[in-house]
Amino acid sequence: MNENENSQLEAAVDHELKALPNLRAPQTLLPRVMAVIEQRALLPWYRRAWQTWPRALQVVSMLILLVAFAGLCFGSWQLVHASAVTSAASEASGWFRMLSRTLSTLGVLVNALALVVRSLGPLVLFGIMAALLLGYFACVGFGTLYVRLAFARR
Amino acid sequence: MTDAQEFETFMRNYQGMVFSTAMRLLANQAEAEDVAQDVFLKAYERFSELRQSKTVGGWLKTVATNMSLNHLSRYRSRWSFFSDLWGKGREEDDDAQIEFPASNDVEADVAQSERRELVEQALRTMPAAQRVPLVLFHLEGLQYDEIAAKLGVSLGKVKTDIFRGRETLRRKLRLKLGDADLIDAV
Repeated sequence: MNENENSQLEAAVDHELKALPNLRAPQTLLPRVMAVIEQRALLPWYRRAWQTWPRALQVVSMLILLVAFAGLCFGSWQLVHASAVTSAASEASGWFRMLSRTLSTLGVLVNALALVVRSLGPLVLFGIMAALLLGYFACVGFGTLYVRLAFARR
Repeated sequence: MTDAQEFETFMRNYQGMVFSTAMRLLANQAEAEDVAQDVFLKAYERFSELRQSKTVGGWLKTVATNMSLNHLSRYRSRWSFFSDLWGKGREEDDDAQIEFPASNDVEADVAQSERRELVEQALRTMPAAQRVPLVLFHLEGLQYDEIAAKLGVSLGKVKTDIFRGRETLRRKLRLKLGDADLIDAV
């Protein structure tokens, strides 16, 4: 298709689509929305969206949040400077020692695995990779087949 | 008039537009109705601002578009791979399911309302990958780069999908190029 035909097609499709009037909404839409609105109106204020709360409650809730946040900041600052923190830090370092031991064990295991892979040779490795690929494509194929069957028009 | 009554009138005025926007993007009546419901519930939360706004139509259209796209990405992305594979084989079959008269001057013979129904049907049966960018471009007036940003795909893919979408419509509607009379007669 050349440039001229392409722009003609664009104009024709544009004409077709822009000529479409609005569809008629299902008759159930309006009652559904009004029912949800009525249901929401029956809920107590604290179970509704914050934007719909009475203005005074919005202000009070915002103040409470601000006070809570300030308290959290102040508490954290006090905690960092407390003497009990030093002993807690030494206890935490014990945990880190254990973590480093676990990591070194994992490193040894990975090295052992690398040795095994090297000793297997390239043919076996290619075989394993081919089997994995085959499995992957079998999954894709069966998945497609199942989707086609499930959505097939009857 | 109470708030609820006023909102009901407001909804009657705009429900067709909101539903059409969702329906043409989702191509599924139940899902489009769900999205339209969410759009109006959101509108109700801001009704005090919206009732005086002159751009309320645009606001509703934008929210309906964004919610439809969110719906598509949330509920259908996991199937997109398979549906794309499926869609390729299906495009050819769809032509047979829409019944066109055999005549070459089909557009001249079919009444306008029937013609529009055919366009709607063609849109509904088109693969989502083509329909969504096509609708965003022609009906929502978005530019290629805006569509690419909204859908999170490359500019090239958007152009290709829109081109394919037009081709699909041309095939389904038997649009003839270079024949001004036929296009005007539509």
